[in-house]
Amino acid sequence: MRVPFEWLKEFVVIDISAHELANRLTMRGFEVESIESRKPCFSGVVVGCIKEIKKHPNADNLSVCTVDTGKEDVTVLCGADNISKNDKVPIALIGASLSDSTKIELRTIKGITSYGMLCSEKELGISDDHTGIFILPEDVATGARLEDLSGIMDFILDINVPPNRGDCLSIFGIAREVASILNQKAKRPIFRLEADPKEKAEDFISLQIHDTEACPRYVLRLIKDSSIVKSPFWMRDRINKCGMRPINSIVDVTNYIMLELGQPLHAFDYERLNDRRIEVRVAEKATVFRTLDGEDRGLEKGDILICDGKGPVALAGIMGGENSEITDNTRIIALESAYFNPELIRKTSRRLGIKSEASLRFEKGIDLDNVDFAAQRAISLMQMISGGKILKGNLEVNEAKKREGIFINFGKINEALGTAIEHRDVLNALRSIDLHILQEEDNGFVVSIPWFRHDINEQMDVVEEVARIYGYDNVPVTTPTLAMLQLKRSKKGRFINKAKDFLVSSGFFEVINFGFLGKKDIENFLIPPEDPRSSYVEILNPISKDYGIMRTFLAPNVLRNIAYNTNRGTKNIRVFEIGKVFFPDNNNLPSEHLHVFMAMTGREREYFWREQPRDYDFFDIKGIIEGMAGHFGLTFDFRTCTEPFMDKKRSADIYMDGVKIGWLGELREDVLKLYEIEQKTFCSELRFDRFIEWGQLDCHYKAISRYPQAIRDFSFFIEESIPVGNLIEKIKMLSPLIVSVGIFDMFRKDKRSVSFRVIFQSHEETLRDETVNNIQEKIIEELTKIDGITLRV
Amino acid sequence: MNGLEELKEIIENKLSSIKSIEDLNNVRPYLLGRKGVFSEHIERIKHLDKEEKKTYGQRLNTLKLETENRLKELKAALEEKEREATERLSWIDITLPGKIPVVGNTHPITKVFYEIIEIFASLGFSVAEGPDIELDYYNFEALNIPPHHPARDMQDTFYIKEGIVLRTHTSPVQVRVMEAQLPPVRIISPGAVYRCDNDISHTPMFHQVEGLMVDKGIRFSDLKGILTIFIHEIFGDDTSLRFRPSYFPFTEPSAEVDIRCVICKGKGCRVCKDTGWLEILGSGMVHPQVFRNVGYDPEEISGFAFGMGVERIAMLKYGIDDIRQFYYNDLRFLSQF
Repeated sequence: MRVPFEWLKEFVVIDISAHELANRLTMRGFEVESIESRKPCFSGVVVGCIKEIKKHPNADNLSVCTVDTGKEDVTVLCGADNISKNDKVPIALIGASLSDSTKIELRTIKGITSYGMLCSEKELGISDDHTGIFILPEDVATGARLEDLSGIMDFILDINVPPNRGDCLSIFGIAREVASILNQKAKRPIFRLEADPKEKAEDFISLQIHDTEACPRYVLRLIKDSSIVKSPFWMRDRINKCGMRPINSIVDVTNYIMLELGQPLHAFDYERLNDRRIEVRVAEKATVFRTLDGEDRGLEKGDILICDGKGPVALAGIMGGENSEITDNTRIIALESAYFNPELIRKTSRRLGIKSEASLRFEKGIDLDNVDFAAQRAISLMQMISGGKILKGNLEVNEAKKREGIFINFGKINEALGTAIEHRDVLNALRSIDLHILQEEDNGFVVSIPWFRHDINEQMDVVEEVARIYGYDNVPVTTPTLAMLQLKRSKKGRFINKAKDFLVSSGFFEVINFGFLGKKDIENFLIPPEDPRSSYVEILNPISKDYGIMRTFLAPNVLRNIAYNTNRGTKNIRVFEIGKVFFPDNNNLPSEHLHVFMAMTGREREYFWREQPRDYDFFDIKGIIEGMAGHFGLTFDFRTCTEPFMDKKRSADIYMDGVKIGWLGELREDVLKLYEIEQKTFCSELRFDRFIEWGQLDCHYKAISRYPQAIRDFSFFIEESIPVGNLIEKIKMLSPLIVSVGIFDMFRKDKRSVSFRVIFQSHEETLRDETVNNIQEKIIEELTKIDGITLRV
Repeated sequence: MNGLEELKEIIENKLSSIKSIEDLNNVRPYLLGRKGVFSEHIERIKHLDKEEKKTYGQRLNTLKLETENRLKELKAALEEKEREATERLSWIDITLPGKIPVVGNTHPITKVFYEIIEIFASLGFSVAEGPDIELDYYNFEALNIPPHHPARDMQDTFYIKEGIVLRTHTSPVQVRVMEAQLPPVRIISPGAVYRCDNDISHTPMFHQVEGLMVDKGIRFSDLKGILTIFIHEIFGDDTSLRFRPSYFPFTEPSAEVDIRCVICKGKGCRVCKDTGWLEILGSGMVHPQVFRNVGYDPEEISGFAFGMGVERIAMLKYGIDDIRQFYYNDLRFLSQF
């Protein structure tokens, strides 16, 4: 809400600066987001009074005016024709400068010298209006400096009004808060309503409300023979400052009142209303209605409609109809001021996507007690600006229920806030914001809530008001005195931390991506329709196609991260992400699994002076996976890869206890290309939930043998068809004295030669050669039994 | 006396020809060996008379000892020289770069999460989590935001289908926890949240930590106390802060917590929009309606809740000026924290 400082001053005496006020409002819960300062961009301009206007003897389009500048009468030439004798006008004296930096000098045109210049609003830089000379109000003093004219110097506070404070979507509402801050009472606007005693509104029109839940209060007031003109400067200026556009005197008045008092109004062309009647009802069936912006709107059951004898003429609180809009030919205006059910307005406005200044206020709830006051004020302003006759009286339905008082316990307030506020101060605080204390008792009081405060309904709402006015700064800072509780550590959190520690110390950087994917990603990865990763949770209103679904695996987003980096010159990358993936579940919320994804591309480092680092390969990523499994006390087995997006020869599926938990290896080149990655990339994605389910956080100490190890190396020729990994397991099984089996050499020369190192150790004794030899024989025997394995001698 | 001068000359020549230990080893038998240069002179002694035998023998012996000493000295000198040579070969340039281990890093959001969790853990808060895809009921209704409530405008929501949304805050976890247990409750819930917003200062997903403390007799002043401790821990003890009235549908009274702008120290700058203050978290006393919704009696217990954006805290802590940096995952960015 944009609030002109000068306008506020109409309702409350402000003796502090705009900046100080902004600060105090902020600390009251009305955050002032910015203060815009308006300064005159002219100088040397005073208020002049036109004494005489004559035609220029030698120039038809110029007039010669005698203008009283307060000090003297001067002669001024003028080309505009909207001036008349006794008008107060801005006169730029010799030496003055205007908004476009024009300097005023003596000027002689066809024999007559001009001692100044009469100015338009545009020349003064106060509006875009250049249709004529700016005619000032009659009551400004001749000779006064124009910059002293109200509204020229101003500050506009941009206030972030909390959503529950619809009452402060008006200058008067803010003034009420300001008054409370400054220990005053805001003054309501004063005006005179001069109606024609002979013609009564009720003789012109009838009013009927069918549903007083939807519309508990409705007022119609009529004005006849007003002319639609341009509004005076002060009104246009204020409307402009509040961020709306002035249109004409009738529309401007309705907007002005909405800004001033928070009551949206609607003007009907009375003569276009069929049967001279207004009915308010809630639509019972769907229909189509053309609003004044020329759009056909689909109405539905539940929308509040303003109807005449034939059908809808306005969509209540949202927009008027084309069929009853005022035009230049309008002779009688029927002005509507009403209270509509906030929820119904909101529903309709949401559904139709129309968010107007009016609907914004109606849907937060306006002041039910202010409905007719606003109508009176509006109609009197219309008469003042546009002339015409106000018809006597109004048509009104008022079914507003009385609000019940709320009992507030003094003790509860201080108990809730941790304060010791005096009873008297509590009551004064509430009175300052126009809450009425109905009854005072020793331990509490009953407070009645005015109809502009829809946000106060129970004790705590009142406590909040007390806190706000008392000042949050004045509430002490304490710590609660509580019993100790068992602090439950999160098992999942500990697993994640442990995994992150492992990966970070293995050289991986953690990435975090949005939980979205595009459908295209599923295609890119060639995921078949029957694969669970193809059944995704879709977002109804995504930001873009690329973020259209919830991710079912992590790989695509991390590939994008890799491309982002390689495109910027970072070619050696190790990254991981631990994050949620989502799968639909018919009857419940989608199921959420935790995945971990790791990727490596390039090499460990670009170069080292001592040796040339080598590029990553399959065994680097496999080592990471094996290492991580070991870190959690798990063992994985690696089987033929079934993932469509992997290079099958250099990839594997990962199993644990016969259950597939992920995959690893080299991504297909064509898939990488879709993500703009041009280097070999090795990665792995695993279900991290399984780690949490089956893995170990804590280890169990195994005693260390006091006896020496025995080491034996064996070399075999092993055909390529025989997986060596399985042989390691096989050897291990041959004796409990074998503590480790490793492969220390492998080469191909005609046949594949593999060298194993086996370490033997006992917890009971120093192993004798004979014992080790026996096992050695057994190893050789068992391995060479297999077709395709021979001992290399 | 014949031959001794000659022998001396031979020895001198041989000795001066020695350039290395190897030469020395080769020369040594020639000079001192059983068949060396001395042997024929020793043989000759036998044929001399007694008197001559004595003097000649003595002179010969002296010469031999001298030669032995000369060889010893030469050997030591050569060994020293050789040692110096090997040392020169094994010399390294200690100013060459070492091999720095390649380690990774956790994401700055993770780091800030850990820090926040650690601080609240020290105050007795446990971590609670909930689903990212949430029922409208938990995300809104239970938190006193019924359908068509104006507060729904505050958060642009992603919808999955009727009644199911991407959570717009981690507050639904509060409700789930309170539904599942009786007071006292002391939890924080970290997690990802989603809002339909994507521009220079908003990402459609970001992270929050929310906290909840419910017990008998929890006061607004306690909220101020706990959050003051938190702010001092995370931004430093000299950080000034203020509590400012605000509005959230699920708390009352509600307070926005501002800290003195870390960039301009309160003088006013672009980051704090010239106010000198930065919004850092939202908080308030749990709304009685929220308690009623989970079956707690607001007359019996009270509590406070708070929530903060992790990216925002990270940005202020590390001086990051663009929220989108967190999601580019540029290694040049990630390696700085």
